[in-house]
Amino acid sequence: MRVCLAALVGFALASFNIDRVPAQSIHAWTLPAGFPAPDVPADNPITEAKADLGRHLFYDTRLSGNGTQSCATCHEQSRAFTDGRARSVGSTGQLHTRGSMSLVNVVYAQGLTWANPSLTRLEVQALIPMYGDHPVELGLNRSDRWIDVIAKDATYERLFAAAFGTAPHPFTRDRVVQAIATFERTIVSARSPYDHYHFERDDAAISDAAKRGEVLFHSRPLACFTCHGGVHFSGSMGSARRPAPVVLHNTGLYNLPGLLSYPSSDAGLYDVTHESADVGKFKAPTLRNIAVTAPYMHDGSVATLEEAIDHYAAGGRTITTGPYQGVGHDNPNKSPAINGFSLTREQRADLVAFLNSLTDEAVLRDPRFENPWTRQSRP
Amino acid sequence: MNDGITMTTRRDVLTGLGSALLATWAIAPRAEAAQQATAQTTPPTLKVTGDVRTPLTLSPDELKAMPRAKVEVKDEDGRLVSYEGVLVGEILKRAGAALGGELRGNTVATYVVASASDGYQVVFSLAELDPAFTGSQIIVADMIDGKPLFAYQGPLRIVAPNDTRPARSIRMLERLDVVRVKK
Repeated sequence: MRVCLAALVGFALASFNIDRVPAQSIHAWTLPAGFPAPDVPADNPITEAKADLGRHLFYDTRLSGNGTQSCATCHEQSRAFTDGRARSVGSTGQLHTRGSMSLVNVVYAQGLTWANPSLTRLEVQALIPMYGDHPVELGLNRSDRWIDVIAKDATYERLFAAAFGTAPHPFTRDRVVQAIATFERTIVSARSPYDHYHFERDDAAISDAAKRGEVLFHSRPLACFTCHGGVHFSGSMGSARRPAPVVLHNTGLYNLPGLLSYPSSDAGLYDVTHESADVGKFKAPTLRNIAVTAPYMHDGSVATLEEAIDHYAAGGRTITTGPYQGVGHDNPNKSPAINGFSLTREQRADLVAFLNSLTDEAVLRDPRFENPWTRQSRP
Repeated sequence: MNDGITMTTRRDVLTGLGSALLATWAIAPRAEAAQQATAQTTPPTLKVTGDVRTPLTLSPDELKAMPRAKVEVKDEDGRLVSYEGVLVGEILKRAGAALGGELRGNTVATYVVASASDGYQVVFSLAELDPAFTGSQIIVADMIDGKPLFAYQGPLRIVAPNDTRPARSIRMLERLDVVRVKK
């Protein structure tokens, strides 16, 4: 019997490439035909047990120093895992310089956060909101006493054992971030009306206006796809078979006089490289679910989709009063893709209709991504 | 701008199996939508003009009736995608461009400007479009995997399967203009 079991396990392991995505996770995601298989680190393969543990941690306010916030505070499922704020607020009340980014399809992201190409692993990125001081987000104490607290929770005893086995000390920081990263990797948005239209060729799935908007999106002079390209309508996304370079863009959102053309509180890639050519360069985030992730841009300074289109139509934003006064169109680092364009009222409506067709109600309500604690005792 | 982001190229295992270097095609809208959206300004024809004996305006049906060719490229997930259409050389031959034995001497200094309905343009030398000269597999495609092209690709596009970058596989193709440098 033991021999038979071993043979079965061996066959199961041989039936999929363990260095890529375990078969069960592919099944769980139900990617549409034509949707690329994501890359997953070989040292943290996806399992349902690990994703379930990660979901509990993601929604647990014990993962903040003062017990007021969890990851989900700034990443709400109903808002495609953003928070609806222009700029997020940490557990101690600190107003951040940036808005929270959507987590959908983050498994494909080649560079994480708004402007840090060197940050490529979710396991590493998770440590920043957990322990970071600039800004304070969750504000966890680095002594990790909080881990001792959750280790006494029977739910976590069960979940950690299911995810990592019954090792003598299963409760570690590494395993926490592995589990959170695993949960985040399972949040794939691929069931929007647009997906039904494009991948299933269901012509009734989106309106004629959205179809016209789709063509505008992919044509000159708009050429939105130049930065928001591929199946994720995003920059810097790759797949298991095709890694992609991280490319960041200055879109002419600001043009201040002096050495820094962007507000000194957040100059984008420049804050990492200190190269003047990198001032104002940020990620082109996914446009999937863009209708529910307002306000827009890294600092939430654009309130609506229509206002975002105005910004690109003008080839950069002009601010006429206040400390950020300037003509973004003339920013010296502005991407050559931001040239401006004009749209009729109907074309503008078509473009918005197309962007609205990217809203994936299934992912916004998927019970696999909901707060698991609502039906239990904590928190 | 027409194609650069939505298609990428790479070498992969299939090159080792003897396949040519393959382009990767990512998401693209449906051809029907492109036709609807541009119907008022872009008739679904392919014009062949310039230094040819017989300038042409080919309808989709006329392209369907010409000798057909297929090329395979890779999609974003590494799957083979089959484009079907007509060799560009076949279209140029019908227009009376100097191909085959005529493509010699000063005539070799001839190029073809391919233009899309959104203004994007790319250039091929005439020789690289002539199967007799280079074994060209470059086609004007109207089908992908047996169906009409995805939207903004169509109704016609060029597929240059041996280019290492996809930028010359121009979408929304509407004109081929033959230009002879030395008369």
